[in-house]
Amino acid sequence: MKPFEYLEPTTVSEACALLKKGGGEARVFAGGALMTILMKEGLLEPKTLINIKRISGLKGIDFHPQEGLAIGALVTHHELETSGIVKEKLPILCAVEKDVANIRVRSMATVGGNLASGEPLTDLPQVFIALDARIKIASSSGERVMPLEDLYVDYYQTRLAGDEIVTQVIVPPVPERTGIEYIRFSSSSVVDKPCVGVATRISLGPQRLCQTVRIVLGCVGPTPLRAKKAEALVAGKPLDPKLAEEAGAVATGECSPVSDLRGSERYKRAVVGVLVRRALAQAYESASRS
Amino acid sequence: MKKSIHFRVNGIDTAIEVETHQMLLQVVRESLGLTGAKFACGIQVCGTCTLLLNGKPVSGCSVLAVDADGSDVLTVEGLAKDGQLHPLQEAFMEFGALQCGYCTPGFLLTAKALLDENPHPSEEEIRSYLAGNFCRCGCYQEIMRAIQKVAGR
Repeated sequence: MKPFEYLEPTTVSEACALLKKGGGEARVFAGGALMTILMKEGLLEPKTLINIKRISGLKGIDFHPQEGLAIGALVTHHELETSGIVKEKLPILCAVEKDVANIRVRSMATVGGNLASGEPLTDLPQVFIALDARIKIASSSGERVMPLEDLYVDYYQTRLAGDEIVTQVIVPPVPERTGIEYIRFSSSSVVDKPCVGVATRISLGPQRLCQTVRIVLGCVGPTPLRAKKAEALVAGKPLDPKLAEEAGAVATGECSPVSDLRGSERYKRAVVGVLVRRALAQAYESASRS
Repeated sequence: MKKSIHFRVNGIDTAIEVETHQMLLQVVRESLGLTGAKFACGIQVCGTCTLLLNGKPVSGCSVLAVDADGSDVLTVEGLAKDGQLHPLQEAFMEFGALQCGYCTPGFLLTAKALLDENPHPSEEEIRSYLAGNFCRCGCYQEIMRAIQKVAGR
């Protein structure tokens, strides 16, 4: 690994100022689970590494009845997995985290780092997008809030400017009679990165009609993506097995998987169809039960 | 760039100067002489380099040593107390939960972290927590029995 200057700011504004000063040569370092690997491989060679772990304001999970869950960027995957408040308010997040990588990565890697890395083969972004999550971003000139869905541009490319840091994820409260489902499919070992991950959310209106529908596909394109045609097909209707099957078929045409060691392009499309069908059916059933 | 770090390793206050780009595993093995944790995959997949950082398992091969400044580090050498092996170590011997032993320090520390967090895990919980530690000799059944014994199951 190439030597670098190492800094440990203790406030967000100090960190943003250091990033700005570093031009394109400085990088934010949080958990470091992905960064250290990229640096060891020589894929990233920052001149300055800005470790934000000493910034206490980026830690912790809060819940406000109106705002929803506010998850600090430095919260680790394992903290999210075992958080009492998350278990109570959004248990789906704890369930998703159980299968993320392995316990060492979950103990070290952070939620903010996971979202900001732009890594396409991961789980959390599609689940958060299905929940209409927003992220809070700080820069040397202030703060802004953006739907997570808008963060992603391409493989490892986000809309974060050079001096910006993700500080928080905000997950708004889910309406009554909502079902959320995430199905992660690994084509090799369970601790491997997912081959395909599909998140669905259905919020019911009167007569058990699907009022709000989210179908978010992960690992099958440069960014997590919403299958908007499939969502539109289901919206306003009651879900039955035939409609779930049709939505799955539509979703297979809305993604752009690449062939790799986790499966061919054709195979992944087929998996998308099956997972969308199953995840919609399960979300609808749990929405109807609640 | 060099930096001085202060941390507790197996309960002993330790101050050492490291390069900022050095990994914790390298410092623990080469500077401190604690060679229990092993290097293998280098990408946080296999678990042979597991160390406990503030009680949580991490891959020593992928943690910057400077990032451990101020932390508590436990290596397999710190498991035994006053010449008494840890119950997990006793159980691993009793059930023959190893052959070549390369992965064993990682399994012991991961199992310790699990039992500290959840003293009586189910078989499913043990499997899930240890899914990221590989034993290429294939002693998984024996490892499972050893951990279950200590977990009182």
